[in-house]
Amino acid sequence: MNFIGSIINTEFFIAAVRLSVPIILAAVAATICEKAGIINIAMEGMMLIGAFFAAWGAWLTGNPWIGLMFGIFAGTAMGLFHGWATIDLHMNHVVSGAVINILGFGITRYLMVLVFGHPGNSEQIPLSLAAFRFKIPLLNKIPFIGDILFNQTPIVYLTIVLLFVIQWVLKRSAFGLHLHAAGEHPEVLATLGISVKKIRYIAVGFSGTLCGIAGAFLSIENGLSFSEGMTSGRGFIALGANTAGGWSIIGSVIASLFFGAVDALALRIQVLNIFDIYSELFLIFPYVAALIAVGGLVFKSNPPKALGEDYQSE
Amino acid sequence: MIKEKTANLQNKLINFIIIALFAIGTFFVIGGVFIGWSLIVIALIFWTYRFLKQEDMKLKNFLNIIYLKIKFPAFGLLLSFLLGGIIMYISGYNPIRSYGAMIYGGLIKNWHITILNSIPLIFTGLSIALAFKGGLFNIGAEGQYYIGAMVATWIGLRVNISPFIIIPVIFIAGFMGGALFNVIPAILKIKKGAHEVVTTMMLAYIAAILSSLFIKFNGGNPVTSKHAYITDTIFESAWLTKFDSIIPSANYRLHIGILLAIGLAILVQFFLYRTRLGFLIRVVGESPQTAKTQGISVPKIIVLTLCLAGGIAALAGVTQVLGLDHKMFENLNAGYGWNGIAVALLANTSPIGVIFTALLWGALDAGGQYMARTVQTPTSIVEIIKGLVLFLLLAKYLFTYLKKRRKV
Repeated sequence: MNFIGSIINTEFFIAAVRLSVPIILAAVAATICEKAGIINIAMEGMMLIGAFFAAWGAWLTGNPWIGLMFGIFAGTAMGLFHGWATIDLHMNHVVSGAVINILGFGITRYLMVLVFGHPGNSEQIPLSLAAFRFKIPLLNKIPFIGDILFNQTPIVYLTIVLLFVIQWVLKRSAFGLHLHAAGEHPEVLATLGISVKKIRYIAVGFSGTLCGIAGAFLSIENGLSFSEGMTSGRGFIALGANTAGGWSIIGSVIASLFFGAVDALALRIQVLNIFDIYSELFLIFPYVAALIAVGGLVFKSNPPKALGEDYQSE
Repeated sequence: MIKEKTANLQNKLINFIIIALFAIGTFFVIGGVFIGWSLIVIALIFWTYRFLKQEDMKLKNFLNIIYLKIKFPAFGLLLSFLLGGIIMYISGYNPIRSYGAMIYGGLIKNWHITILNSIPLIFTGLSIALAFKGGLFNIGAEGQYYIGAMVATWIGLRVNISPFIIIPVIFIAGFMGGALFNVIPAILKIKKGAHEVVTTMMLAYIAAILSSLFIKFNGGNPVTSKHAYITDTIFESAWLTKFDSIIPSANYRLHIGILLAIGLAILVQFFLYRTRLGFLIRVVGESPQTAKTQGISVPKIIVLTLCLAGGIAALAGVTQVLGLDHKMFENLNAGYGWNGIAVALLANTSPIGVIFTALLWGALDAGGQYMARTVQTPTSIVEIIKGLVLFLLLAKYLFTYLKKRRKV
């Protein structure tokens, strides 16, 4: 059992949580957006843009917090762009999402050359958010969980707080009710005199914000620089998490944690290099897991009724 | 009676001449002999004349129809080039010199690179366009590309028989490989309702990782091999014919894959608009509800569409290996999938249109490289222009949006 012990230990769980943070953020982004009735497959592009701008901001100012602001701003802008294309221009949601993904690759590539003078990897940022790692007093004394959840870096805490807030807003506030209605029966919402357009814009913009945070996590908290295509399919895994989680926040989070754990497992096996040349094979784990989860639909599938439907206010 | 017969025969003869002129002209142009354009222009004039006579239409009306068709693409293209120029100007490069170099490099000097770039894009673009017609989004075409390339390399490394047998065999095997690969998302879609965006994308990442393992086991092992991360070269019997064996002045790298790609585009167009199965695919794509009430088995059509799309995308990998590379590289960010989507969307999912948009994409890449070498404007401006060109798609929506606003 020494072998399993060397793979699955406290460090593994810490890695699992850290690896699932961007997936959780993006999956929740997808859930919120799709609850409001707008299909979002653009998480990958939004995360990339967020990651780039976060790294740029942190590199420019030397302050990772400003970097985070940059990332959030850029992510939100991309989210609103998706909103504009789907809500006002009545574009097909999937097409708009695909275009944003393509733009995400292109824009970051061009800006890399413009800002850093070369494609590939950006310059290292002087200070990362990981430097602000802190323990939460008392809570970190809890055995096992204390080490995993309460001795973390800022964005991990931010994610935990955001999850509680989002869940509260969706379940307990009037806005949450309106959001559900915008995705299920927009006409009903409109007869109540509430603007479907506004609700949908807020949802899609906020999903961009979350993706921006997720991107910032990758470039300035988990790493020290931006590299091209660094999201490596996490946006799509998140989409899978949202589907497997049955369009609910809790389901999305659980599925994301599962994918993060699989990711951590694959990385540890690869680093330990137990299986020699085949070690690379384990990199497919997270993708296979996502495929199986989406195919098996672990949770009850309950997509919003008006998902992807164009809403005309006339 | 006899008069009618001769008229019919005459018609057929003229049709044949037009097609022949067109085909020969295209062949020469692809080979870099630009005099071929004159043949194409003659064929076009002939065709327009005949078309006008048959439909009893005025030239003015005909031009009007063409204008309406190309209004949005032309408007978007012009606008995006203008914006690209402004971005270049702001970043401190001379837009006129850059564009000059880009056009010269992409359309004349490095025309063969344009063609070579566009071949895989035509295949992946066709795959995505076909899936789109069936209401499906084959976002993971890149994965199917790897499958095709792997199948082609695997067979090409092991079997050494007459090219007349081996090349068709590899093409069929590659197609089957891609089609079978897409059975997974198709089954998940019809049985579990899993969206193909997630499943094909996941499979694309899986295929990319598998391909790097495949390369290791076929001569690219960095520990034992001299050429790390590249497979051994396939037998020469499986290589596609090169253009320079027919037109001596053609570039030596140019292969007949482009003709296969164009042929396939015409075939797909024919399949979608002239056959029963193609019609069914389009009905399911337009409205699954209608299809169901008409007694069409929607799940069957979905499986068929995804399999065909997967097979076509795999042919991109096959032609790339047999025609250009003759081996497989570990090239995980080639972007054939994403560029294929761009190409298909830009062509408004028309199979024939895909040929032209793929050529445009190829020319932008080839011209961009030439531009970077000669006037030192970075190639990545091409990525921005591509992104801007994609606004073409938005242009149409933007037009209707602005029109509506003006009314209100």
